[in-house]
Amino acid sequence: MNNEFLSRRQFIAGTAAAMAASRLRADEPAKIIKGKAEHCIFIWLGGGMSHIDTFDPKRRGDPAKKLAGSYYDSIDTAVKGVKVCEHLKGIAPLMDRITAVRTIHHDVIDEHAAAVNRMHTGRVVSGTVIYPSVGSIIAHERGAAADGAPPYVLIGYPNVTRGPGFLGSRDGYLYLTDTSQGPAGLSRAPDVSNERQLRREAFLTQTRESAQARLGDDSRVRDYAAAIEQSLKLSGPEFTRVFKLDEEKADLRKEYGGEFGQRCLLARRLIERGVRFIEVSHNLNFLNGTGWDAHNTGIKKQHELIIELDIAMAALIRDLEARKMLDKTLIVVATEFGRPPEFDSGGGRGHHGQAFSGVLAGGGLKHTGAHGVTDDLARKVVSDSCSVPDFFATIHAAMGIDYSKSLYDGDRPVPITDRGMPIAKLFG
Amino acid sequence: MKTFTKLLIATTAIFATVTHAADLVSRWDFGTEEIARLTPHGGVHRDVPGPRAPEFLDFDAENTAVKFDGSGAHFVFSETAANGPYSFKNGDSITLEAWVDITESKDGENVYVIGKGRTGDPAFAKDNQNWALRLRKLDGLEHVSFLFATPRKDQAKGKDSHFHRWTSKAGFTPGSGWHRVAISYTYGEPDSIRGWLDADPADGTWDMGGETRDAPVVDDDAIWIASSMGGSASTSFRGSIDAISIYRGLVPDDVMRGRCRKATPTAVKAPAKVATVETAPFATILPPGKVVVTLSDGLKAHDAFPARDDEPKALMRWETDQLLVPRMPMKYDDWGIRQSWSGPALLRAEAEISLPPGKHRLLFRAREMGRLWVNGKVIARTKTHSGSADGYQPVPAVSEPPAPGVHPADYGDKEAFGDAEIGPDGRCHVVLEAILGAKKFRAETGELCVMVQTSDGKSYALVEGKFDESKRMNEDNWKAAASRAEKALSDLDDANRYAASSTQNAFWDKRHIAGRQWTEKHPAAVAPKLDGVAHPIDSFINARIQTAVAASAASNAEEAKHFYEKVLPILSENCFRCHGDKEKGGLRLNSRESALKSGASGKAAVVPGHPEKSDMLERITSKDEDERMPPTGERIKPEHVAILNAWIKAGASWPALRVTPEEVAQPRVVDDPAFVRRAYLDAIGVPPTEAEARAFSADTSADKRVKLIDRLLADVRYPDAWMGYWQDVLAENPNILKPSLNNSGPFRWFLYESMRDNKAFDRMVTELLMLRGSATEGGSAGFGMAADNDSPFAAKGQIVGSAFLGIELQCARCHDSPYHTTKQRDLYSIAAMFARKPLTVPKTSTVPAAFFEKKARESLIKVTLKHGEELKPEWPFAKTCGVAEGADISALMQKPDDSRERLAALITAPQNQRFASVIVNRAWKRLIGAGIVEPAYDWEGHAPSHPELLAWLAQEFVAHDYDFKHLVRTIMTSQMYQREATGRNLKLAPERRFFVAPERRRLNAEQIVDSLFAASGKTINVEELTFDPDTRSSATTLTSLGVPRRAWQFASLSNERDRPSLSLPRAQAVIDVLEAFGWFGSRQSPHTDRETDPNVLQPGVLENSTMSTWITRVSERSELAELAIKAESPEALVDSIFMRFLSRPPAKADRERFVQALALGFSNRIIPADQIKEPYVPVRLPKITWSTHLMAEATTVKLEMERRARLGDPADPRLNPAWRDVYEDVIWSVINSPEFVWMP
Repeated sequence: MNNEFLSRRQFIAGTAAAMAASRLRADEPAKIIKGKAEHCIFIWLGGGMSHIDTFDPKRRGDPAKKLAGSYYDSIDTAVKGVKVCEHLKGIAPLMDRITAVRTIHHDVIDEHAAAVNRMHTGRVVSGTVIYPSVGSIIAHERGAAADGAPPYVLIGYPNVTRGPGFLGSRDGYLYLTDTSQGPAGLSRAPDVSNERQLRREAFLTQTRESAQARLGDDSRVRDYAAAIEQSLKLSGPEFTRVFKLDEEKADLRKEYGGEFGQRCLLARRLIERGVRFIEVSHNLNFLNGTGWDAHNTGIKKQHELIIELDIAMAALIRDLEARKMLDKTLIVVATEFGRPPEFDSGGGRGHHGQAFSGVLAGGGLKHTGAHGVTDDLARKVVSDSCSVPDFFATIHAAMGIDYSKSLYDGDRPVPITDRGMPIAKLFG
Repeated sequence: MKTFTKLLIATTAIFATVTHAADLVSRWDFGTEEIARLTPHGGVHRDVPGPRAPEFLDFDAENTAVKFDGSGAHFVFSETAANGPYSFKNGDSITLEAWVDITESKDGENVYVIGKGRTGDPAFAKDNQNWALRLRKLDGLEHVSFLFATPRKDQAKGKDSHFHRWTSKAGFTPGSGWHRVAISYTYGEPDSIRGWLDADPADGTWDMGGETRDAPVVDDDAIWIASSMGGSASTSFRGSIDAISIYRGLVPDDVMRGRCRKATPTAVKAPAKVATVETAPFATILPPGKVVVTLSDGLKAHDAFPARDDEPKALMRWETDQLLVPRMPMKYDDWGIRQSWSGPALLRAEAEISLPPGKHRLLFRAREMGRLWVNGKVIARTKTHSGSADGYQPVPAVSEPPAPGVHPADYGDKEAFGDAEIGPDGRCHVVLEAILGAKKFRAETGELCVMVQTSDGKSYALVEGKFDESKRMNEDNWKAAASRAEKALSDLDDANRYAASSTQNAFWDKRHIAGRQWTEKHPAAVAPKLDGVAHPIDSFINARIQTAVAASAASNAEEAKHFYEKVLPILSENCFRCHGDKEKGGLRLNSRESALKSGASGKAAVVPGHPEKSDMLERITSKDEDERMPPTGERIKPEHVAILNAWIKAGASWPALRVTPEEVAQPRVVDDPAFVRRAYLDAIGVPPTEAEARAFSADTSADKRVKLIDRLLADVRYPDAWMGYWQDVLAENPNILKPSLNNSGPFRWFLYESMRDNKAFDRMVTELLMLRGSATEGGSAGFGMAADNDSPFAAKGQIVGSAFLGIELQCARCHDSPYHTTKQRDLYSIAAMFARKPLTVPKTSTVPAAFFEKKARESLIKVTLKHGEELKPEWPFAKTCGVAEGADISALMQKPDDSRERLAALITAPQNQRFASVIVNRAWKRLIGAGIVEPAYDWEGHAPSHPELLAWLAQEFVAHDYDFKHLVRTIMTSQMYQREATGRNLKLAPERRFFVAPERRRLNAEQIVDSLFAASGKTINVEELTFDPDTRSSATTLTSLGVPRRAWQFASLSNERDRPSLSLPRAQAVIDVLEAFGWFGSRQSPHTDRETDPNVLQPGVLENSTMSTWITRVSERSELAELAIKAESPEALVDSIFMRFLSRPPAKADRERFVQALALGFSNRIIPADQIKEPYVPVRLPKITWSTHLMAEATTVKLEMERRARLGDPADPRLNPAWRDVYEDVIWSVINSPEFVWMP
């Protein structure tokens, strides 16, 4: 097993010899790489994107003949020598703004929840610490980019691995599950018109005065009252405008494509409004039922997912570039794990963690189309291995966050990543 | 297999109380998702076909296995700490079982199916085979073989003598398809060896190393599947493997045979219609008008009814009045703690009704296999589940009602019809038999019932003891019948539980007598006698105030103010963590006397008048990293250094605390509306109803407050008020999906029922720690589980320490605590007591030497346990708790040689005053808002503000047999509790914490949600908390937490997979509100205090959330609608709204404002009957379950459910919409008033 992806506690339990070879690098001068990205859009492909069918294509396989290999043909891209799957037509000409990190790896492939946790916290759970998600860490370190904006918005289902862990609810997310509505708790019920809301607030003035008389002067009650003001503001027209996608030009909305594209468009609008980190989930499982977890017959419509990703991501990159926001917006495509080159008995694919791809775009990085090399069937890392902590350190570095620092769970120092080192090539 | 079976993460100690011959430790099924951390190496291919139905009856038709290429391909499982569940010592029994389809191996080769040790890891001896199941090829046949090693004694004894191999005589041909192989063995007893090949036992011989009684090698080397010795080719399995199980214990032959059922070749081709000889059950003597139900468990099969003489003995029998069983009754162990059903259960329900002679149509509904007898003949049958539960099953169509308007069969239930010919006597003797549950799925009844078609043929009526065919089963009648049935079951559960738990009463009576005797011998402080103060709590508090006021008279006001407001806070914030009540480096800074002394540095921290000579100032300004203080974190700000400098220069005076009578003047006791609301919320978690609040105000008796408190504490809702608190403190963290992320079992039911029965607190804690009953279905055993945790008992030790002893052990998991005196040794010693065996620190829980090398200064943390050091079960807290192991503790135990019971006894013994004090302080804090000791979970270095009061409360608690209700009553009846909530105790140091008044408390999340539902008169109408509503899986894989009735019953919805098809949109709507107010869906670690800082989402969810829409909507037939319709005047309506939601009448301004708003259109608010437009009723939707959730339709259905949830229930059509909007807006403004979320 490679030391790179051991947890801190497993790591520190290793033998002295392993220690010497490890990435502790205690004696190296602490030269911190810092990028200049201001925002991050973290696209999540739940279930496990098949890297060999997308960003790390190899020879064609054939499920009928049980011949291992890619499910689709590959095409050339803007970067010489870097190929992607034929369904990534929109992204292919933009690969010079993108780096597919092809050599991420970890050892949790049997259990989705554990893999989701690994790829949101960047580390192994230990039982004694509840680790924060990457979104919460970035919210914690950098806060919102503008006054009156939440630092972290999730477009997807709430769950504990996306949460703030020991950092506490201040660094948690606001969430929404689709673009037809604003975040839970901050978007008004469908049957409440502006007129009704005005009446409600007028009534509320009365009950608040009455409450004041009963509760007396208490600083905590005062703070709660301030939170009421703030929530009324955030659910009011000024902030909720950001969710009104119909303010965008019809052509642009069309360019972004379906619901997933609209989520990406909303992410761009949220960034403009000052949100620091947005996780956009691609969980449009009605396309094939299983989403990216394409076991068995789930693979038959996998290309529809890939095409939807392609359309939306290409539109997002072009749109951000046109608005001169691409360099300050890091786009990350992350997933649970990859899938093996072999086909399962139903023609689909199982889970594979020894090598898989994550994608970085924009964010002011020096993109190279692809980073790292896997073997002939994308099973194993051949060169430029990138551990999960390294991938997370790269995200932090791009966001200008000191990836070597520690956060504190009470008194306990917790390194911000599991001793990851950023991919230096992408910087400076 | 596609049905997900999981590895039981908790160690086997949990199983010690289970009576099975063998307990499953691990099972790997190699489906698409698995919990166990198997790391693949080399050519390992998942998702290949495994043994499948129809040939193999115990597997799905789409079952998958894993294939190995040989040449070292293997899986590694490394969570194998020595002394863990995978370690077998002499006297321990092991059973290993697997399915294999081996392609080939060479003659004489021994290929591994699964083995522990001998992995080639250089950290271990080469020949450390703990155990292994292998296939040995001889003469062309694969034989079942078992191998283990005993420690090597000396070379002289000859090579290989320490290896012991047993091989079966029978074998099978490689390439001949799937075979089941298994062995069982008790170490130290060579004759105990037993092998199985396919369904049959197989004889064999010890063919290497011979028999031995010696103990085997036991270590923490890994488990490998399909290879060994670093991946040597000749030991590597080529072919497929499935369903590997490891048991502790010997699995008997009949069970083994039952696990390898094969269809006969002919049956595969044409499933024969075997004529079953069925005999009708003996008719019971039925009490008139009653239905009799009997239940037994432990059936051998779930897909065939046993012969009458082979039926297990009935476990329970009850009488009810209708043939409807909406759920299983609970099964309790002999302490009254929930247990799982063992094997499939058989339920028989019997009734006799009268029908007109002639032909009648009956229907019955059952979840699985069932048959309906009428007058001795079977007239209808249902079958057991078929198909796979893998997620790819088509979404079944919504069931049609059997006749228009009749409640249709629930999703997942099966429905069958049959005709009965009733004779001239009109006798219709109905017996329903149903098999419930199986090895692979949970036992649930579904909506088990029998109905008779009405004589007009247009409807159905439920079979009841007093049958009345006019009671047609429309939705209303069905709901009424189901709730009666639920009530009957709940009474049955209570009765069964009391009966079982009463076996322990004598023991606890004895314990409590000992407790009372102890308090008599060790009397605590007596409450001071003060004029006009009746309650002891008030006496203690008032006396302390008086003393402090008197002492401060001598103090200089100016100087004291400066010192306590400017100087001391700097010291307490920056220094007291180590140098306060604790002493670090020989230094304490909590008094002038201590500060003037020299610590370990040899220099005095403070030299009055000479800042330049004071070590403290030197250290806080030092630029030397090795010297500076505080040692970590931010430096003390320069302006604060200046204040300290000036203070020392001026002589470092430490004046007595200045307390003026005005500062400690006690506010008045609250008025009736505030009191009644506060008492209800604290005692039962919901506010009073309008009628209750009015009745209390109207009551003029002098002792009405005490009477109310007594009535509330006797209320059946009392446990609901405390559940969330103990769930947090004890880190109850069940998952509705396979356990991960520190999940425990749902021991909420143990806690709830303990409080429902008002079990003495020492008894509840003891029974919790004894880990009894079902780990996955509600026993206290669930507390012992900690998934994804390398040392579950250490994790539990930490919880126990903070919950019951106020000892914080979090740091001690990996190193000695830097800011506490607790050591690693302490934690692992109690963990070992809990585990009933010595424990070592797992490899993953320590700190390496390199960590310390990197540090510039001497580290604050120290690792004092050597790697691999075994910690014996030992009580480390004799000094802290004042109780030591000894004969007096043994006298409090049932089994004095059980270290787990000893741990429980040491914690709950009356001698352990720390326990009683910690518990009373917890209750105090919860009701008053600040503890006498803060924080309540970590007492080290934190002095009590009122030591005598604390001791008195603890003594009262013990003297009243640890009756928690008595404790709550004692606190609630004090004047202190009833004063206006203007207290500022929480943030103050103990010497300034006078408890002049209770804190202003914000309602907790559960109180807010429960209050919203209660005040609006609505029930929490959400989905059952499960992904398996049709019971297709075992409770270890997918379980159900039931349909929540109160907020504490929610849990994380576990949609880490982010699949819309797995969302529970209605439950999520409630959870959104709970989480905003600080509730934890997932309690990976214990919490005493929740975050209470306001955030924007708190008012946000009350203003805008889906749940807020439900609450404020004046929905059809809701109480709010009835209230509006029946209101005599706008004034009366406004009064009612305020009484309901805020427990008080509106103030003058409130009344004016809202009466004005509601008067407009009030007289026309009701729509004439002939103009009412009934609301649109949307079509029913299928339930989406785990079995169907990966189909595209599942997502579409769920999205529609989400849409409907957001929309809420339709409004009442009888009310004029324009007026109704205003009415709803008034309600909205009341629930959004801060008054709603703050305790009055």
